[in-house]
Amino acid sequence: MKKSHIAILIVFLICIPLTLYFGTIAARRSFYLTGTLVIIELLVPFFMAFEGRKPQARELVIIAVLCALGVASRVLVPLPHFKPAFAIILLSGMAFGPESGFMVGAITAFAGNFFMGQGPFTPWQMMAYGAGGMLAGFIFQKKLLPKKPLIMAIFGFVMCVVWIGPLLDCSQIFLMLSEINWAGVAASFAAGLPVNVSQGVCTAIVMFLFGRPILEKLDRVKIKYGMMEDADGI
Amino acid sequence: MHSDAFSKCHPAVNLVFFLGAIVATVLIVHPAYVLASIAGAALYYMLLSGQKGLKRILVLLPIFVFVTAVNPLFNTYGDRVLFKVFGRPYTLEALLYGASLAGVLVAMLLWFGCYNAVLTEDKFTSLFGNLAPALSLLLVMVLRMIPNLIKKGRQISGSRMSVGKDASNGRTLTEKISGGMLVVGTLMSWALEGGVVTSDSMQARGYGTAKRTSFMIYRFTGSDGVLAAVIAALLAAIIAFCAKGAASAVFTPTLDIAPVRGTNLAGFIVFVIYMLIPSVMHIREAVQWNISRSRI
Amino acid sequence: MEHFKIEDLNFSYPTAKGKLSLENVSLTISKGEYIVLCGRSGSGKTTLLRHLKTVLAPHGKRSGSITFNGVPLEQVSERDQASKIGYVMQNPDDQIVTDKVWHELAFGLESLGTDQKVMRARVAEMACYFGIQDWFHRNVADLSGGQKQLLNLASIMAMQPEVLILDEPTSQLDPIAASDFLNTVRKINIELGTTVIVTEHRLEDIFPYADRAIVMDEGRIIADDTPRNIGKLLYEQKNLMFAAMPTPVRVFYSAGGKGDCPLTVREGRTWLAETFPKAPAVTALPVSEPDEEITDPVLSLKELWFRYEKDSPDILRGVNMEVQKGSLFAIVGGNGAGKSTTLKAICGICRPYRGKIKIFGKPVEKYSTGELFKNCLSMLPQDPKSLFVKKTVREDLEEMSKDKDHVAQIARLCQVTQLLDSHPYDLSGGEQQRAALAKVLLTDPKILLLDEPTKGIDSFFKETFAGILADLKAKGLTVIMVSHDIEFCARYADTVSMFFDGQVLTTDVPRRFFGANSFYTTAANRMSRHVFANAVTADDVAELYRINTGGSN
Repeated sequence: MKKSHIAILIVFLICIPLTLYFGTIAARRSFYLTGTLVIIELLVPFFMAFEGRKPQARELVIIAVLCALGVASRVLVPLPHFKPAFAIILLSGMAFGPESGFMVGAITAFAGNFFMGQGPFTPWQMMAYGAGGMLAGFIFQKKLLPKKPLIMAIFGFVMCVVWIGPLLDCSQIFLMLSEINWAGVAASFAAGLPVNVSQGVCTAIVMFLFGRPILEKLDRVKIKYGMMEDADGI
Repeated sequence: MHSDAFSKCHPAVNLVFFLGAIVATVLIVHPAYVLASIAGAALYYMLLSGQKGLKRILVLLPIFVFVTAVNPLFNTYGDRVLFKVFGRPYTLEALLYGASLAGVLVAMLLWFGCYNAVLTEDKFTSLFGNLAPALSLLLVMVLRMIPNLIKKGRQISGSRMSVGKDASNGRTLTEKISGGMLVVGTLMSWALEGGVVTSDSMQARGYGTAKRTSFMIYRFTGSDGVLAAVIAALLAAIIAFCAKGAASAVFTPTLDIAPVRGTNLAGFIVFVIYMLIPSVMHIREAVQWNISRSRI
Repeated sequence: MEHFKIEDLNFSYPTAKGKLSLENVSLTISKGEYIVLCGRSGSGKTTLLRHLKTVLAPHGKRSGSITFNGVPLEQVSERDQASKIGYVMQNPDDQIVTDKVWHELAFGLESLGTDQKVMRARVAEMACYFGIQDWFHRNVADLSGGQKQLLNLASIMAMQPEVLILDEPTSQLDPIAASDFLNTVRKINIELGTTVIVTEHRLEDIFPYADRAIVMDEGRIIADDTPRNIGKLLYEQKNLMFAAMPTPVRVFYSAGGKGDCPLTVREGRTWLAETFPKAPAVTALPVSEPDEEITDPVLSLKELWFRYEKDSPDILRGVNMEVQKGSLFAIVGGNGAGKSTTLKAICGICRPYRGKIKIFGKPVEKYSTGELFKNCLSMLPQDPKSLFVKKTVREDLEEMSKDKDHVAQIARLCQVTQLLDSHPYDLSGGEQQRAALAKVLLTDPKILLLDEPTKGIDSFFKETFAGILADLKAKGLTVIMVSHDIEFCARYADTVSMFFDGQVLTTDVPRRFFGANSFYTTAANRMSRHVFANAVTADDVAELYRINTGGSN
């Protein structure tokens, strides 16, 4: 058995239950801390798998370029709240598979925060972006959905509004609310909705107009240099 | 940034301290402890960033007020009803709980502010160089590429401008978006093309031919060991006192906050000392510097 | 003892349909040799060099053998090759992997799994040897191009290679950084005995010091001899590569010199001094008197002041300039003198806080951006790659103009018709330059601004490029060019302007301009100034030589 597989088993069967148990009993229901710990524990096996794979130079370079592009793109589009980073992450997943998609997402979030400032939300953001890239990889590489502009746009919008946004909102709920109840959660999600929707629209626009050309560019690189042939699956 | 004694310590010590400070802050909602944590973090933050720091701390005030005021809207437990909102009671206990949580949030943000100033990216990556060589290399590469890509992106925008196809003078929203994304797309091709050279350069210098070691630019010295031991001892003491209920605080349904006296006071003092470590080190260095200068 | 031995190497790229990129290449390189490999772009230099390191060897069909220290190269482990064969590439930026100088220095050692103690010592040694201590802790993003390339070299030297292979290492650097870099390489060869194999366009700095020069053409080695003999050989063969030889060599043979050919400016001076023991009869070539008043300025700059940030130092400190219609106006000067910033100011990319820019007599701020860049002004940026946004050159050109005939006509003018269906990134440096020029010309400019147009281009492409510029001038275009390449300016410009410290120092015709300078001038002028007054190009010197010796070749 691979090290990363053992790590996954350990995380799911031992670490997470223990964290949840101590989180509820010992730490007196500190949801934020418990949640953050669980997320970090979930990130670990992915990172271990990446380490275990001993990635090739070209693979590292490509992931690094895509991450850096996600962070840099924020500065380059002359509109204040237009962030193409998430679209780039989804497209990376589609082009290079779930595992690379995950790495691009998680590292984009983390590296970006070296410039924007790390905060309590960092692990949550890594998870949200990483899982987004991974899901895009699964769905579009296994051809569950076709890579058509409209479908990619809808996918991008939905991912922003029902997955990334809410996950980030969760970290805020856990930090800010003394009692977690439906009213509070609903109010928080409602408060976060405008931001999430605008982020979703932005992602959808990028996916719709530029998804295909960007995928073509990534495919050109893949074919030209014959890399990442074994990038699918863990 | 000014010279800071704590920043000069080994990054591992920095990281452990911040983890301890942040976790302790999140777990302990006792008002006195929350205040102590805010005070420690704010003091250090100002020592690190001076005048500008004060402004950034004041920005946190509205957040504090907002979180405090919002909490009782969703937490209606408590006996002392102040007034009613939408027919739901707005209680003093919940308000205090909210204030405490808001304090925790503020303290955390401040500690993260200090963390960002102290644990710069090269310190962070050097910590994991041996543990996760591929990941830390990846991170280092991303950090290397970001400023490079921004520069190249500006170059592309400039070139677009010099042939009269500038994105920022696009009039409509669509023009701006497509202009900007054209730059991003071009940058992607350019960067991926350059990436081939980068990967050649990595392979030419033996990447992947042996188990990577990592150049330790930061050395773990004796004084780092002492500081680490102090931090560990203080953390252990804080855990011990907390286990005995020194910092217990329940707000709703009824207020039950452990008084800070007797053995509890000792626990509180340990906590305060912990939170003051970086500030004390900073001030001590400044004082020593002045003394040694005045002797010349 | 032989280091590399190449026997009957043949190679073709998979896409080349059997056309050989290397043909019957046989070559022996001994330990400690300093070898310069020259040839036009596309002659197979890079392909040959990349074969000397297995991880870099291109995919394709190959026959023949390469041995390293007597062992077939493919049997030398990757690890040994990584440390023993150092390879420096062209682009200083893309070769750098990490974000800190110290980390980049250690990168190779980290990859080889060197232990901490050895690594510390080696990194410290390298930092001292290359003078990197002062910027050891810096971010690589803050380094200049020359520093970056030096860092790449140091990072490779940290692994203590036996051979150093350099593929056009200075093509992206300015002349001062380039000769610093090449001097360091020479120092490594002399002091450490490291074998050096280098390809270069700029031969002036290395040719005299090389043990051997190897000339390639169409994938074959056509000459392999000492530099002094190579000059003669190429002249006799009337080979196009002769144009790339150092100035003294070109002057010597085109003037019809006899005997041993000079390689350096010093040798050239001695040769001229011996030929003309007394002052020759004719010492100066005619200089066209510039019109005192510029009659028809297309562009005038008055007292331009500019700085990037409120508190940063001024970059432009009162620039005054007038450009005559239909001329090729060259701006020369050191790094940071404000040359490129002036171009940006003319384009409106940066706005001076004081002063006036008038284009065709109309202040620049009165132009709308659309007006300014349509039928008026256009700039070819320093890096032509930054202009390409499409998949083929054709699409890129058609982005600028829908008129197919117009596109075809400009493509012909810039000699890119055969390249229209290629991906812009697959072109060579010189071809990219021309394709980018075509794109810029499609805005029908009357004033063309060029930022370092000859950077990284070999001498043949430079001549082609100069030819295109002459065509444009004939059509009435005004060309303003910023360049470090004083040889090119001396040869082709109508007026040269020297920038220093944010100001225009002098402006004159090249013969007078370079004739008056004694350091900042062309090699031909430095070589001949004790005999002739205003010879600034190799052709000038040769011409005066012939006039005075009565020779008539």
